[in-house]
Amino acid sequence: MDGPDEIIHQSMRLRIAATLNALPTGELLEFNKLKAGLGATDGNMATHLSALEKAGYVAVEKDFVGKKPRTRLSLTRAGRKAFDRHVAYLKDLLDSGG
Amino acid sequence: MTVTREEAVTALEEVSRASDRINTLKGYHHGAPHFIIWGLVWLVANTLTQFLPDQTNVTWSAALVFGVIASVATGVIQARRARPRAASSAAEARVSRRSGMAVAVVFAFIACLVVITRPETSRETNAVISIVFPFMYMGAGVWAGWRLFAIGLVTAVGIMAGFVWIEDYYPLWMGLFGGGSLIAGGLWLRSA
Repeated sequence: MDGPDEIIHQSMRLRIAATLNALPTGELLEFNKLKAGLGATDGNMATHLSALEKAGYVAVEKDFVGKKPRTRLSLTRAGRKAFDRHVAYLKDLLDSGG
Repeated sequence: MTVTREEAVTALEEVSRASDRINTLKGYHHGAPHFIIWGLVWLVANTLTQFLPDQTNVTWSAALVFGVIASVATGVIQARRARPRAASSAAEARVSRRSGMAVAVVFAFIACLVVITRPETSRETNAVISIVFPFMYMGAGVWAGWRLFAIGLVTAVGIMAGFVWIEDYYPLWMGLFGGGSLIAGGLWLRSA
């Protein structure tokens, strides 16, 4: 059994990864919608997204809609694998009675 | 790093909640254009009925054909976007078939309802047929998300309030309030 993923296991990062993982591959989610859905603050989100991005788990795309800046996020292939492994670890932990 | 059983349970619950939230959002975004299409149908057909009562049958026939074609086409486009290219044609065919069957089921139900209740005026017919839809939305909303329920509730209250208090301008009320609430509801779902 693989060990837990220390980056993903933190509560807010796990919720970010779980939300992005539920999107179809290639689909992006706007930063503001993710923030609202998770009930997080800008600062909190920025800190955790930065950690996920540094690990190569989250891709951040910035562009403009008209004159308004827009930030959209997706889980990378590595992020999806790490998330799946971490969830499998958690399920194994419960199944094994550990 | 060690993870306790309690932490694992909490973490898996968070994963499940996040997944549910995204599925609700997907449902809203999937439903939004259909609400806008049928809101436009209600708005235009009811308004024309108010001012051209002699053309009611022609107006509603054309509006319903437009609504069904636009709704099925939107469903097919959504299926095309949601699936990989290789699986898309099979998925499109499935969605077209299911959309067509769903429309047929609803229309058959409404036809039975009209035959059984025998509404005597065009106002009663309009109300009996229209009231079916908001209750469908409320029923779906119980499972798929509170916004759907809220749109159904507001529309149903509007239909009943108009039926009780508005006599001569009922079609116009149904167009402006009923159609308007569906269009506003669709935009609200899209913004979720």
